[in-house]
Amino acid sequence: MNNKESDSSPVSFEQLPIGYEFPPSSYELSTSVISKYLEAVGEQPDFLKSGIVPPLAIAACAMTALSQSFTVPPGSIHASQELEFLKLVPIGATISCGGKIAQKLERGRLSLIVLEINALNQDREKVLAGKATVAVPK
Amino acid sequence: MNEKPKLSDIHQGDSLPSVVKHVTQQEINLYAEASGDFNPIHIDEAFAAKTPLGGTIAHGMLILAYASEMMTKAFGKSWLEGGKLSVRFKAPARPQDTITVSGKIDSIESIEGIPYVNCSLECCNQNGEVVITGGAVVKLQ
Repeated sequence: MNNKESDSSPVSFEQLPIGYEFPPSSYELSTSVISKYLEAVGEQPDFLKSGIVPPLAIAACAMTALSQSFTVPPGSIHASQELEFLKLVPIGATISCGGKIAQKLERGRLSLIVLEINALNQDREKVLAGKATVAVPK
Repeated sequence: MNEKPKLSDIHQGDSLPSVVKHVTQQEINLYAEASGDFNPIHIDEAFAAKTPLGGTIAHGMLILAYASEMMTKAFGKSWLEGGKLSVRFKAPARPQDTITVSGKIDSIESIEGIPYVNCSLECCNQNGEVVITGGAVVKLQ
């Protein structure tokens, strides 16, 4: 999915404070982009007839937007994910994805980073919200 | 795609229509292209072989997309527009794994007159190992 903005080089998550808001990234969800996504997830191509972007495609954009903004060490694991689908997004729309570092926790040998993610449509309405927890080895 | 199921057709204890997917490195590579996530653990077999994982693994969000497909099959647009997922990634999915997504309706409740369907779901590999576990809630429109 092509990213129209966000040219900053990624920084280590350790350098980012709680509350840090990631610069937004835009994604144009064209028919060809969604068709590629559907092929990748083994979904029937006739999903395209619905004219609706699969919500996990939007979530993928949101996660990619954040992952391009900071780095984590090797061995880090995407531990959990929460998502809420708020509005339908038509194929062809452009969304803006962003988020922030909501929490940093210590759990034994792991550090946990809780990221809040969101996606907005062209009317600046929230179409997706969520939280991702990444477990980082110390 | 089902438009929106009727409340009268949904019952506590009902199983959701399972989804079975065969994970291939080709699909993982396609997902990397589609999502922009080119972490070498997913696509670089030589790199991944040297890690504790011993080989490439599928993106967690790829497997989660399978779970969303199951929910879409069951609830149609109600899922796409009013769904919530909360899951833990328990184990990696690897190329050549067969992932079965299953779920069931745990309860149906009414909040401010709107019915919400609470589901549990699991993604398991061919060895019965749980890859993803969690729940989903559907707001019936």
